[in-house]
Amino acid sequence: MNAEALLGCFAAPACIVTQVSAGMIIGMLIFLVASGVTLIFGVLKVVNFAHGSFYMLGAYLALTVYGASGSYTLAVLAAVVGVGLFGTIFERFFMSRVYNADVLMQLLVCYAFILILDDVVKIVWGGDFLKMGMPREFALPPIKVWDGYVPPFYAFLTVFAVAIAVLVGALLRFTQFGKIVRAAAVNRQMVSVLGINTSLVYALIFGLGSMLAGLAGALAAPVRAAVPGMGFEILIECFIVTIIGGMGSMAGAFIAAIGIGLIRSFGSIGFPLASEGVMFAIMAIMLLVRPAGLFGRKAS
Amino acid sequence: MTARMENIIGILLAVAVTAATLAFGGKALLDVLMRLAIFGLLALSLNILVGYTGLVSFGHAMFFGLGSYTFGLLMQSGAVSIPVAALLTLVAALVWGGVVGMFCIRLDDIYFSFLTLAFQMLLYSIIVGFVSLTGGDQGLMGGIPRPPFLGLDLTDPRQLFVVTMAVFVTCVLIIRQIVQSPFGFALRMIRDNAERARFLGLPVQRYKLIAFVLSGLFGSISGILMSLYVSGAYPNFAFWSTSGDVIFMIILGGITVFLGPLIGAAVFLLLNDNITRMTEHHGIVMGVVLLAVVLGLRKGFLDLLDDWWRARAGAVR
Amino acid sequence: MTVRLSIVGLMKRFGGVVASDNVTLDFAPGSLTAVIGPNGAGKTTFFNLITGKLKPDAGQILLDGVDIAGRSQSEIVRRGIGRAFQVASIFPRFTVEEALTAAVLTHRQQTSSMLRRFPLPLALARAREIMALAGLERVASTPSRFLSHGDQKLLDIALALALEPKVLLLDEPTAGMGPEERWQMIERVQTLWREVGMTLVFIEHDMDIVFKIAQTIRVLRYGKVLAEGTPDEIRSNADVIEAYLGTSLEASA
Repeated sequence: MNAEALLGCFAAPACIVTQVSAGMIIGMLIFLVASGVTLIFGVLKVVNFAHGSFYMLGAYLALTVYGASGSYTLAVLAAVVGVGLFGTIFERFFMSRVYNADVLMQLLVCYAFILILDDVVKIVWGGDFLKMGMPREFALPPIKVWDGYVPPFYAFLTVFAVAIAVLVGALLRFTQFGKIVRAAAVNRQMVSVLGINTSLVYALIFGLGSMLAGLAGALAAPVRAAVPGMGFEILIECFIVTIIGGMGSMAGAFIAAIGIGLIRSFGSIGFPLASEGVMFAIMAIMLLVRPAGLFGRKAS
Repeated sequence: MTARMENIIGILLAVAVTAATLAFGGKALLDVLMRLAIFGLLALSLNILVGYTGLVSFGHAMFFGLGSYTFGLLMQSGAVSIPVAALLTLVAALVWGGVVGMFCIRLDDIYFSFLTLAFQMLLYSIIVGFVSLTGGDQGLMGGIPRPPFLGLDLTDPRQLFVVTMAVFVTCVLIIRQIVQSPFGFALRMIRDNAERARFLGLPVQRYKLIAFVLSGLFGSISGILMSLYVSGAYPNFAFWSTSGDVIFMIILGGITVFLGPLIGAAVFLLLNDNITRMTEHHGIVMGVVLLAVVLGLRKGFLDLLDDWWRARAGAVR
Repeated sequence: MTVRLSIVGLMKRFGGVVASDNVTLDFAPGSLTAVIGPNGAGKTTFFNLITGKLKPDAGQILLDGVDIAGRSQSEIVRRGIGRAFQVASIFPRFTVEEALTAAVLTHRQQTSSMLRRFPLPLALARAREIMALAGLERVASTPSRFLSHGDQKLLDIALALALEPKVLLLDEPTAGMGPEERWQMIERVQTLWREVGMTLVFIEHDMDIVFKIAQTIRVLRYGKVLAEGTPDEIRSNADVIEAYLGTSLEASA
């Protein structure tokens, strides 16, 4: 615990700006992954434990495409489409077979894929840290905010993630597809009796959730080093966020993710060893005080 | 079969295997059996939760790690003898299991899995982060002293083997007794239909917590044996992949038959060792095997046997 | 007249819908009562309120003079109100004998023992008695999930009996059964009632059954008590006739 450093940072606007912007991108990445998990869980009632691995896949795909083409836009698109496709295939051929089995079976199918994907990444990209560096498109001077400087990419990432969240929310709320999805979440049988292909809906939702993970991976590539196993770390954070925010609540996940991001970033100054502990403590307190989470309806 | 007969058969079998190994087996067989005893106990202890209570813990390795680190640190401190250190380790596991369990059992199904996983990662990050105490990434270095006690010298591999087997068979028989007791059947009621059990007046939450703590206690004993066996403790003992491996073991062997997890541990270790020898891409192979078991058989080996058996007789296991 | 279970001014609202509107009813010890009413009359809500699954907004539920309204489900069970469910709620992997023994052990608070072996002889003997009462001996060693629909419902009732209830509530004991099976079931229920001597209240849609076996009938509509009396009185009650003919007898039967 280094209270002096922390207080020192709070006294300096430049430090606050730096830490908040760093915290925001951590939070936004967690949020994108968590929103994918939440979306899939909300409709399909299964938890994709392999979602972190999808995020990892997104990061590596983006790295490769950026390396080959030099275009970050292309890299992001490739990651989103690639991981989306992969997720759809995963859902159709593997996950859909254990919908009616118990949680254990679903967990094991995901676990198998975590093992396989980590190894595949090792074979294709090697086991060392890979860095993309700041994309050319963002090689701009930092933005001055208050007394501090924010890298343009950080600002872009934050705004973009929020925009995507709003977009997905609008898709679910205002479109015909959204109506079907929400109905299927409540009563799959009824929707399927009405002549709607619910298997297709499930595959699309799983694909959409996976695209969010792929996007998060692509956005993470410039600011984080890619390494096999990176998916698991974010998966844990994403679970904590879902528990704090409330199961199935996007808004809850959003707020909790920002909170965790800020704790991580300020924690790295003030309590580097304990920032993980603080995260867990918040989760534990939440479970005691409000088992359903910030915005959750019912815990169990 | 009566309880007494089970105990006699279990003890006789263990004595026979131990004696035969000491008489005819080499160092290699000794090692294989010790690892089987350690991971078999770990898998059996997890199955108290998964198979009997219907709670899928994805964080069981936390007790494995907790047991090995607590025990290892206590021994390295040089202040206590092996039995005292083991006892203190059990107390630590009891406290950790009680506190963590109180949080975890508040949630059902997949959220229970989440939370166990999360707490395990908390322990893992403490182990990795608290370098001055635990040695961080490197693990507990310098070996674990094993001063003689009660005329036993655990630095001798053969004596360590005998002690490991004795602890193993004792634990297995105790677990067997627990799951066959009225308490064990109360856990099965929770697994089958918690709502109905509650309506019959069963204090479901309290029983879940007791099951969680018991499972953790035996898991930590497995951790103690591990730290004696490798003379150290390493962060990956408390890593999620170890939890995943244990779940893999019990699903391989089967969760509905008492000894399923033990058989699963045997199959797993066999597979793991051979795959590691043949290829460095051991994750892919294990992943594919796991998929084949889950999607192909949909059950463990002993589960399948059990189904066939139950088509003729019929009883809950 | 002595009263076993007495409901006084029971109220429950769900948003704008009043599911239980000032319900006041008495049940004598050892009585056999049918609760009927059109769909949505609040029959299952009535049961849920008595058993503590729902908390009443107002009113009293007196069991032998003690108000149990608003207490927890498990306490109400302990005080002697048992219940079987509309959809049989059983332990799929237990055999019938095991399930009943476990239920008896739970009721006797003997499930905390880890040193003895299941089943304890006394509990097993009691479980066998209940099996005999419920006519489940023929399937004693069948895993519950392999039982026929009717036997699953019987087992559900038998599980409730293991708690030695003073009052037993049966929510549509014959739901989902064919005509022949229905009569077997209802005869079984009648025998149980006679042999155990408890107060039995059941919800039923089959009017032939209701009018044949019930001592008294309570009719609910829109959460209110519409009528109560003997089968003959109900048959000639103008409100009941209007309620049923008004909503079509077919739909509610």
